[in-house]
Amino acid sequence: MIDFVEECRREWKRLGVPDPIANEMATDLTIDIEEAEAEGGSAEDVLGNSLFDPRRFAAAWASARGVTAPPASVEPFSPLGRDRHPWYRPATIIAVTVFGFLAALAAVALVVGGHGSAMVGPIRRIVAVPGSIRIIGPASVMPPFRNFVGTSFNVQNTAPFFVLAFVALLGALVILGLVVLYRSAWLRRESKRRFW
Amino acid sequence: MAQVDGRRSQLLRGVLDLCLLAVIGEGPAYGYEMTKRLRARGMSIVGEGSIYPLLGRLERDGLVETRREASNGGPPRKYYSLSSNGKQSLETGVEEWKTARDGIDRALDLVKVEVTP
Repeated sequence: MIDFVEECRREWKRLGVPDPIANEMATDLTIDIEEAEAEGGSAEDVLGNSLFDPRRFAAAWASARGVTAPPASVEPFSPLGRDRHPWYRPATIIAVTVFGFLAALAAVALVVGGHGSAMVGPIRRIVAVPGSIRIIGPASVMPPFRNFVGTSFNVQNTAPFFVLAFVALLGALVILGLVVLYRSAWLRRESKRRFW
Repeated sequence: MAQVDGRRSQLLRGVLDLCLLAVIGEGPAYGYEMTKRLRARGMSIVGEGSIYPLLGRLERDGLVETRREASNGGPPRKYYSLSSNGKQSLETGVEEWKTARDGIDRALDLVKVEVTP
């Protein structure tokens, strides 16, 4: 019985129930259980099946009395709170969403555009020697750029581009996923806030 | 059988506040005393949870008033009595219950149950 009341006290403490009210509830509970036991009964006669779930019982009682403080873990991260973190402001969320969307588009364009054995891109004013392209000065040579044809070049080794594209695509998807998760958590909190 | 228990539990839950108001209406009572009054009328709360959260709600809604009275040598106990709103709520609730019960009785009286051994 003492364990049950102590468990209730811990739960009330955790929920932020003011001490005088917690003491009052604990006292009432203790006296009633003692009376039941003195009459040959048990704590179950007083508590019913709540005896087996003290935390739930304590939370229900405090909530019914309207003395439960709002959970401390929710307020600091509330998107609607005045002192919310910059990462949770709507403008930041929109900017991150747009960035993620653009990154995804760019990544898809790179993958689709580079589909095949070579990439073709325009190039001008570059003095080129067949088999290599010199960009800055005669000693600067970029091995991946070969087969110079007129005003364009072919890129034979496209593996780095694909890797870059996939990394960008994955990054964008992660960003968009996080935004969706955050938005759903926000909506859940908002619906709960309206309900209570 | 579990379905029958579930229905009984739901029925009880729907009218337990009314029953509490009724037993409080008999005279001021503390928590366990109400449990005993209910049990004396054949309503056991064992398996149905506790009355304390419900008493908390009645108090918050202004349907009951509370005061502390000294008990037998122990700390003062919390006694509940009906407020004027509580009396009105009890009257309205009893009327609603009787109306619902009569309708249900009329529907269920048509059923002829034959139990075959």
